[in-house]
Amino acid sequence: MVTIELKRARLVIYCRNLKFEWTIDPRYWRNPLIGVLILMLALLSCYFFKNLRFLQLFAIANVYAAIAICLSWSAIGSGRLNFGPQFFIALGGFTAGLLNMRYGFDIFGTLAGAILITLAVGFLLSPLTIISGGLYYSLTTLIIPLILLQITYVRVDIFGGESGIGPIAPLVNVGDYYLNQLITGMFSLVLLLAYLLIVDRIFKSRYGVIMGAINEDEEVAASLGVRINAYKIVSAAIPAAMLGITGWFFAHSFRTFAGTTYLPLDVMLKILLITMIGGRASIYGSVLGAYFVTLIEDFLRQFGQINYVLFPLTLLLCLLFLSEGLWGLYRKRKYREYYPAIRIRRR
Amino acid sequence: MLNPAPILIYVLIYGSIYLLASLGFSIICGVLRIFHLGYEYVYALTVYLTWMFIFEFGLELPLALALMILGQFLFAFLLYKGIIVRYFEREEYLLTAVILVAYIVDEAINYRYPVTVGASLPTVLLRGTTNIGGVNVSNQLLIIIVVALLLTVAFAIFFLKSRIGMAMCAVSQNVLSARYCGVDTDKLFALAFILSTIPAIICVVLIAPIWSIEPSMGWPLLSTAILISVLGGLGNLKGCIVASYIIGFVYSIVAYLLDPRYISLAGLLVTLVLLLFKPTGLVRAETIW
Repeated sequence: MVTIELKRARLVIYCRNLKFEWTIDPRYWRNPLIGVLILMLALLSCYFFKNLRFLQLFAIANVYAAIAICLSWSAIGSGRLNFGPQFFIALGGFTAGLLNMRYGFDIFGTLAGAILITLAVGFLLSPLTIISGGLYYSLTTLIIPLILLQITYVRVDIFGGESGIGPIAPLVNVGDYYLNQLITGMFSLVLLLAYLLIVDRIFKSRYGVIMGAINEDEEVAASLGVRINAYKIVSAAIPAAMLGITGWFFAHSFRTFAGTTYLPLDVMLKILLITMIGGRASIYGSVLGAYFVTLIEDFLRQFGQINYVLFPLTLLLCLLFLSEGLWGLYRKRKYREYYPAIRIRRR
Repeated sequence: MLNPAPILIYVLIYGSIYLLASLGFSIICGVLRIFHLGYEYVYALTVYLTWMFIFEFGLELPLALALMILGQFLFAFLLYKGIIVRYFEREEYLLTAVILVAYIVDEAINYRYPVTVGASLPTVLLRGTTNIGGVNVSNQLLIIIVVALLLTVAFAIFFLKSRIGMAMCAVSQNVLSARYCGVDTDKLFALAFILSTIPAIICVVLIAPIWSIEPSMGWPLLSTAILISVLGGLGNLKGCIVASYIIGFVYSIVAYLLDPRYISLAGLLVTLVLLLFKPTGLVRAETIW
């Protein structure tokens, strides 16, 4: 005999001598496997229903979420808002494409190349987090991708100008087009989950506490013995390499890579919106934000040309009315956030 | 033998155009201490509002211009009340929201008047060319140089001599102290926000006959305005004037000696290098003047 009872916010199921409980309010679902299962099922159902459009959309959403997670780490760890994450995506993508097309590297070789180059450039540019702060840092990072974009226009022989470089070797080729897309989608999910796990562990570690201290007040953190420069350099260089991996993924999954697609201001804007609409620098919110922005963009395409007006309008409304982002709707209580302020106004 | 005349003339022309394009942006940066990345909409809206009044409503150019200016002021006021005030303390939200507004305006213009419409403004003030040092220069470009300098002087007088201008200087130095002295900062911010549209409007009206007109025409102008503002020291008008002519010099010399395709790259590199050595720009942004 099975009896079902509703007790407060729990569903209690009695079956003979057994008792099962299920918390109804999703905010109390603490099992991360549920989230992973939902994301995986979304990809699998698209594959079984042969819905290529959504399969590709989910893969892109996963990678955008991964990018937003890297941006959150970089922002929280360095105490500065990076306006140029797309620079490292493009660097990783171009490195992968050029190594593959010009020197015949396979995908593992291009991955190693993309990681090394983006890590090296990230490390070289990391002193910016020490030299400049606040808005000046944001503006410097805003300028760097624009410089690379100009270089791609000027050196068409290397970067292919507006049409980009290609064809780059595919990420996966098992003979079946749908299966290829499913594997690519699963790969994007693995990438996202790996980033989520790494950054979550880092945020919850001693290193995370130090990042919070750096965000709160650099001078106080330094006076307490925190080697803030070392932490800022690590927080700038490692997320750069992680962003490079997403560029590598884009290059091999789309088999072409153009500066005009990844380097303009609107790409940065989209990534920034994902972090804000998802939830201010919340890494779990980034996943929600990435899926929301990607699906909204695709949904609005059915309205024709006007969708180019409706898309930014919808995002603006989301920004205005979801002050704590989508993750703010889910979480139980508002916890203390560490997020860098741009600090340009003297009060 | 290098002929310096064309370089010097184009330094003046480019410098003046970019001074007009960036003056308003610097005023916002100086008085409100915000970085208005959505300022781009002002350029496109100037052309297309005027075009709409002339070709859809059949109005004369002066009336169309007057209505366009009113429309710009109204839009700036609504933007200030709707978004700037709301996110004054949350800069990252503010930057994102104003860029979104600029995108919405651009796309709405593009939806109604796509590039194929071929919008243009009949705002040529003086036809013909003048030969200066062996270089033929369009008279319209010479007018831009004069107007840019006059407008800058007018703004300098406004900030140094008028009561409201001095209050704006005070606010740019310290908001709290200005408030203690009885300055209504909210009204002043709104006024500065509205006034900041004037240089960009004048810039676009003057360059419209010789510039490429399209709904997204403002982004290259805004990029240069950002470079100038950063190079000059955020929100300092003296720095803005010097930086405009430095950028004009870089663009002219690179276009003349190397290749015009490199001008944007050269401007970006000069700014980046300067930021590395002088992170606060040429003049410290402690006051607007």
